[in-house]
Parts: sequence; structure tokens; C-alpha cells
Amino acid sequence: MRTDAPTIQALVTIANSHAERSGPLKKSAVLLATLLLASIPFLTSCHRQNQTAHKLIILGIDGMDPQLLRQFMQQGKMPNFAKLAREGSFRELTTSIPPQSPVAWSNLITGMNAGGHGIFDFIHRDPKTLQLYFSTSRVEPPKHTIHLGNWVVPLGSGSAEQLRQGKAFWQILDEHGIPNTVFRIPANFPPVPAKGKTLSGMGTPDLRGTYGTFSFYTDDPTAVAGPVEGGQTIPVQVENWKVKANLIGPDNTFRKGSPAATEPFEVATDPLQPVARISVQNQQFVLREGEWSDWIPVEFQLIPFFGNVKGMCRFYLKQAHPRFQLYVSPINIDPARPALPISTPSSYSRMLSEEAGEFYTQGIAEDTKALSASVLDDNQYLQQARTVLAEHRRIFDAELPKFKQGVFFFYFSSLDLNSHMMWRLLDTKHPGYDPALAAKNGSVIADFYQQIDEVLGEVLPRLDTQTTLLVLSDHGFAPYYRSFNLNTWLLQNGYIKIKGNANVDSNEPFAGVDWSQTRAYGLGLNGLYVNFRGREPEGMVQPGAEDDALIRELKTKLLSVKDPQSGLPVITRADIANEAYQGPYSQSGPDLIIGYNRGYRAGWKTILGAFPPDILEDNTNPWSGDHCMDYTQVPGVLLSNQKIVAGAPSLTDIAPTILAEFGILKSKDMLGRSVFSSDSSAARIDKPNKEN
Amino acid sequence: MVVLLSVIIGLLMVVIFRYTSDQTAIRLAKDHLKAHLLAVRLFQDQLPVVLNSYARIIAGTGKYLRLAFKPLLFIILPLTLVIVELDRYLGATPLQTGQAFLVTAHAADADSLNNLSLQLPPQMSTTAPPVHIPADNEVVWRVVAATDGNYDIGIAAAGQTFSKRTVVSSRLARLSPVRLRGQFWKRIFISAEPALSDPGPVTSIALNYPSRNIYFAWMEWNWIWLFFVLSLAAGFLFKTILGIEI
Repeated sequence: MRTDAPTIQALVTIANSHAERSGPLKKSAVLLATLLLASIPFLTSCHRQNQTAHKLIILGIDGMDPQLLRQFMQQGKMPNFAKLAREGSFRELTTSIPPQSPVAWSNLITGMNAGGHGIFDFIHRDPKTLQLYFSTSRVEPPKHTIHLGNWVVPLGSGSAEQLRQGKAFWQILDEHGIPNTVFRIPANFPPVPAKGKTLSGMGTPDLRGTYGTFSFYTDDPTAVAGPVEGGQTIPVQVENWKVKANLIGPDNTFRKGSPAATEPFEVATDPLQPVARISVQNQQFVLREGEWSDWIPVEFQLIPFFGNVKGMCRFYLKQAHPRFQLYVSPINIDPARPALPISTPSSYSRMLSEEAGEFYTQGIAEDTKALSASVLDDNQYLQQARTVLAEHRRIFDAELPKFKQGVFFFYFSSLDLNSHMMWRLLDTKHPGYDPALAAKNGSVIADFYQQIDEVLGEVLPRLDTQTTLLVLSDHGFAPYYRSFNLNTWLLQNGYIKIKGNANVDSNEPFAGVDWSQTRAYGLGLNGLYVNFRGREPEGMVQPGAEDDALIRELKTKLLSVKDPQSGLPVITRADIANEAYQGPYSQSGPDLIIGYNRGYRAGWKTILGAFPPDILEDNTNPWSGDHCMDYTQVPGVLLSNQKIVAGAPSLTDIAPTILAEFGILKSKDMLGRSVFSSDSSAARIDKPNKEN
Repeated sequence: MVVLLSVIIGLLMVVIFRYTSDQTAIRLAKDHLKAHLLAVRLFQDQLPVVLNSYARIIAGTGKYLRLAFKPLLFIILPLTLVIVELDRYLGATPLQTGQAFLVTAHAADADSLNNLSLQLPPQMSTTAPPVHIPADNEVVWRVVAATDGNYDIGIAAAGQTFSKRTVVSSRLARLSPVRLRGQFWKRIFISAEPALSDPGPVTSIALNYPSRNIYFAWMEWNWIWLFFVLSLAAGFLFKTILGIEI
């Protein structure tokens, strides 16, 4: 203000001197013009202040289900959510097609659906080779190398590539100078270039480049050595009360054949007590049976003295004796010394680890695979899952007080993964329901919901007239009672043909398939693809009328499939890609998106292209709740301290809403509009009243 | 702190070098070396001159090393002792309250392992049963401290008690990671405590103080490497400023 004063004074002086030489009318006009000119700095500074003083807090709660939320609010377990719903707004939030987290969060991030951002599933396939890959990112080794004996010398560096298309809302905020912090939002690995602080979330690999590979060391002769889904069992020998084994690190691309880099470690167990000392590199620690270690930094040597990769892992001593059982978590990227880009700026992850301690950096931190493989039991898994949430809360507690302006987005994964794993404990109809386990851990989902309520309780007192709060989830939840094996159904209905002398393999993807006679195949959790001529390597269906007829025929037939056990339809919705998606990538994904009925989902093996013997089977896996079904059956939640005007808000409305909060017009490829505005062009500057 | 120490010690090193060396002889030896190097370049088509110059370069290098050896002796001995002492402060961080640490007692033989017991001050407690490791003649206890302070941890065996100094603090402190029996040179370089009584059932008592890393120039450094680089850089800088021949 002080800097503006002389300017205004000078303008008035000039106006007066000019007016003295003019008549009274001219004098008034000049004075008016002068006042207008003088007010420009005030107006612009007021506008700037409006932009920067305004605050938006977004809590992204993966998998928060509206039905469960209502139930827990009614039971008085979630007083803060009840208060927010009562004093602000609470709506169901239409999720994505299909309702999978990478797709849903990409809808939220870009304001587009899968046709715009190109993420259709957790898993995509290369149509030319039918090779599967993770949909959101790709880590590539160097393209050119020289081989010297057993060594491979790279001529250039490898790369990590983000596969989500479209501009993220925080990149648009950056362009308008709005400060932002975006913590662990899914589908953002490696993080897109940004001026704000971002940390990558779901989709971030472990050091081995997978979604998480645990190791389980045991001398139990009945344990089957080798890979299990999401991990591997490694046999060891106990000699003189000592076990010597190797930690398995990333593939060493500097060695011929890229063998995994390993680092030795030693465990010395007490001959009598259930306790052991573990020595890794130059670190030692003691674990009792049933105890988790802190994060242990480890360094894998790729080239002696030159090429080291740093990671970190946690140990869990499951049993010291009579049988030795040790679980080692996937080797996570160390946030203090990241081997791959996980944050913007790159120092942000180190700053977080210094402020709030080390934390899981792999995208899916809860080790659901170890529970499914019975390497961890319910209690052991829950200890680990609670640690994940505790780490997130520690970071939240460190970051929230620093938030002064712009946008603060914070993501919590706990409700999603624990609803996946623990649904069987609250649903007596579930094939995996066990009354004894339910009696012990039946309230665990409610407990996690209550912890999220506590988080909200920390936010509510910080809300002022300048702050908008959005609490949202990407989808809801439903039971997963029965698996539908889409590829088995396609095979039995003649859409997939097997070569004459080949056997159908229930494990090997598309083993023995005669592609020249196959018309359609299933891949991913909700995807059905037509074997197109010119797209697939041995495509046989002509684009145009033939494929259109085939898709409609498949849709009709699939919608009529009934479960003989219950008589219920297995599939309640099938969306044709052309109709469901808009944007340049609408033809890149599945041709038909299968929406399973509540209680049903694609079977684990059919997702990867295998043919289990039965079309329908009970789901007895601990993974007992799900949301990869008919998107209308699993909406998410949207709560705000402001009045939500939109009658049926959708995930694609969130990016336009965020932008409108700061007076920024949505980009033309965004599908939605601000949930606070009835005006479809909506860039909202003024604040609406609170809902009564 | 490491930066300041490195600069001061770098300065001291060149000053000591200046006053313990024959500066005129070193300057002359270096000038001769430069002259013969120049001769190799200028008369590269005259083989006898080149060979003669090579021989004089080798001889001149030997003379230069001889001249530098005496002052280096004056520097190396005190510098080694300074580094050993600094490492006791900068090599590791003291234990923190609430942070578990390990006490490892090494016994003279495996038979006496079961006779070793840990005696803790009231401010400390064990958080796990001891781990007996017969293959290494070791017993390991996991301990946690409730308050800051300098404590004596005791290992009782065969009617004797062997103590080990333990520092729990958030400040810079002189640390001794191990107390040893005998092993004079190891004690000089690693331990900062008197020797354990000899003979006796305990040959060492060790604590796992966390190692200290320093962030400098966007990198994580062990203090010794940082000290080495910075003191060398400071030495070269002061040599130029003070006109000292090295």
C-alpha cells in the first residue's frame, strides 16, 4: 500500500494540472479517469489477495463407502463426519467407468474420463504383442548398452515414464500461481513436473519395479519355495542357531542377464528364548517373535564402488523356533535417498522423512498379498496396516499446520485396502466369514473409519470463511462373494478357441489360444477386448458392422448370465467404450467394460488371461471386499463445508471445482463442472452460503 | 562445524608445513622438475635429451618427496590423533531417549555366556529377552533409556562387574562405542575408555551408537570424507594466499 501512495498522488497532481488547463466538464472527466486509474492497483491487489488468501483442503479417502459412512455416523462412531454432513453437504459421488482406483483418481486429477487420460484399468496390454504392463507408469532400462564380459555398460540412463495423459489440476494451479501440496495422490508416478510439493502415491513401485514383492524366509520343509503372488518364499537353513540369507534387490542391469542384486544378512536366534539379532550391512537390531523392526536402510551394490541403489525395508520375526519364519517387506524406495523420482521438488520426500520419520513409499503399502498368501495372519497384517496409517497421520500432522494458502490435498489409503481384506469379518454371508475371527477383529473396518474421523476432527477447527473443505472418495465398497471367470465363459461360449492339440491351462495366460479363431478375450478387472483385425496381431473381427454386432451380442449375453447358486444376475451393466468414453484415447482401452453385480467380481486368474475350470466360484481369499463392479453400485462420497449444488456430482467435477475455487476457468477437455455452481461455465469467485 | 574444523586444520597443516620444511630447497626441486618437463616437450625430436630429462625427472621427484617427507611427519602424527579424537565426537550420535539400542557383551568363551547378566541404572530398561549367540560368544540386550544423561551399564560375570559408559543426549558428546580388554592399538583408535580387567570373563562391551551423516552440498557425507575434501581444499587455498611451497 505504501508503494502505491506516491503513484496515486502523482496521478492526482497530473490530473489537477491538466484540469486547470481545461473546462469544468473536462475536469470532472479527467478526475474520474484518474480515480479509475488510481484504483487499478487496489483492484488488482484485492483480486490477488482473493486468490491467495483463499484455501482449499481436500481429504482424498480411497474407498470410503457412503453406506458404511452413514451407518457409522448413525452409530455415533464418526462425530466429525456427522457434523460436516449436518452443517455442510454430503452427497454420493459418481465414480469412474470402471470404478478402479487408478481410473477414478485419474478422472479426479484431469477432469476427464479414461478416453481423455488413457488409464482404463490397473493392467493394460500392448495390442501388438498382448504383453501386459502396469497402466500408470513404466520404468525402462537404458536403450543402448555395451556388453563387456559379464558386465553391461549403459550408454545413457534409464527412465521412469508416467502414462497418464492430460494436465493435472495442480499443474493448472501452478500456471496461475496458486500454491499447492498434493500428498500421495494415485496415478502420479513419476510425479509430473510441478512447482508445488507433490509426493507420488498408488502406482509407485518398490525397488524391484513391482507393486510390492515381499520375501519370506523359512526352514519349514513343508513350505513351497519360489514365487507366490506378490512375494516369494525363500528356504533357509538354521545352523548353530544362525541363518544366513540374502535380501533380494532390484535387477542388476549392469550384469549380463540382469540377475537380481542381493545383499547378505544374518539372523542369530537365541537357543531358548523367542528372540533374534538381525545383522544387515553395518546395522544390528533385536526382534522378539511377533515384532516388527523399524525401517532398515539397505544399499544394493550394482557396480562395485560406483553404482549403489538405496532402499529400505522392515523385518517381522514371525517365529524364531522350532521353525524359523521371517518376513521382509518389499524393498521400498527410501524417501531420504530416493532411487527413483517420487516427489517434487526432489528434496520434498527427504524433508518429509526428516520431519515425520521414514514411511512406506510403495504405492500400495498395505501388504495384502502377504495376507492372501498366509505369510501374515490377520493380526500381523493389521499391525502393518495400522503402521501405514500411523505414518500417514504423522506426515499429515506435520504438514497441515504449515498450510497457509492455496490447495492442500492429502490421500489416505487405509479404508480401501482394509475394506478389501477385512470385509469377510463384518459380512456373515461372505464365504470367508469366520465367527471366531469376526469376534476378534470384526470392528476393524469401523476402527479405521474412526481414525479417519479423527483426522477430519483435526481439520474442522481450522476452517474459516476463507477455507473450503472437500472430503471425497474415489469409489465405495461392496462384498466380493463370487468370482466370475470371464475368459472361461468366453471359451465355453465359443468366443475363444483353443488350438486342436492344446490343453487349457488354468494358470498360463491365453495358453493354447487359437487367435485366428478367437473373437474376444478378457483382460484386466473389467475389460473385454474384441480381437480386431489390424489391431491385435492375429485379429479376425472386422471393424465396423461386424465388431458392432459382436459387442452388442456379447453385451446382451453377459447381462443375461445368472448365478445358479443365487439366481442373481452376475453382470448388471456393460458399457460400450464408444459410448462411455470421450477423448483421444477412447479406442485404446477395452471395447466393453463389464460392470459386475454387487457381490461379484472378475476372478484373479481371468484378469491375467487364464482359464480356471469353473465360470463361477466362491471367493475364499482374504481379499473379500471390492469395488471393481457396476459403477452405479459403488459410488464414492463427497462432503464439504460449502453447499454442493450439483445434484449428482461426479469425479470429473472435482478438477473443475478446484479450479473454480480460485477463479480459474476449466479447460475445454474437462467434462465436469464445479459442484458448487449451477452455472455450467462456472469459475466461482464468490463463496456460496452454507447449506442449512 | 565440520566445515570450520576443516578450514582451521587445513590452515594449520600448511603453516606447520611451512615452518618444518626447507622452502628454498622445495622451490628449487620443483623448478628443476618443471624445467625438465619443459625440456621433454621442447626437445622431443632429440632422444638423448628426452631420456636425460626423464632420468632427471625421476631423480627430482625422489628429491622432492624426500624434502616433503620430514614436514609430513610433523603433520601426520598430530593429525592422526586429532582425527581419532574428532571421530569420538563426530563419528556417531549419542543415544536418544526412547530409542532402542543394543548392548553386546563378548565373552572369553561360550561356556560363560549364561553367566553374564546386565545391570542397568534405573533410567534404563530392557525391551526384549537377551539373545545368546554361542557361535560368536556374545550376548545381546536391547535397552531403552528414559532420560538423558551419562550412565554406567554393568555386565556382571563370575562375581565381577564390568562397566560401560553410555551417553544418552541430543547434544554433541564424546562417545566410546566399545570398551575392550587388551588390544592396545584398537583401544587407541576406537575405544575411549580404560581397558577391561585382564584376565576376566568379558573381552568387550559394545554399544551401537547410530552413525552420524552430514548433509553438505546436496550430498550425504561421513564426516571423515567431508573433512578430508574440505581440509585439502582449504590447505591449497591457504598455500596460495600465504605463498607456501608444498
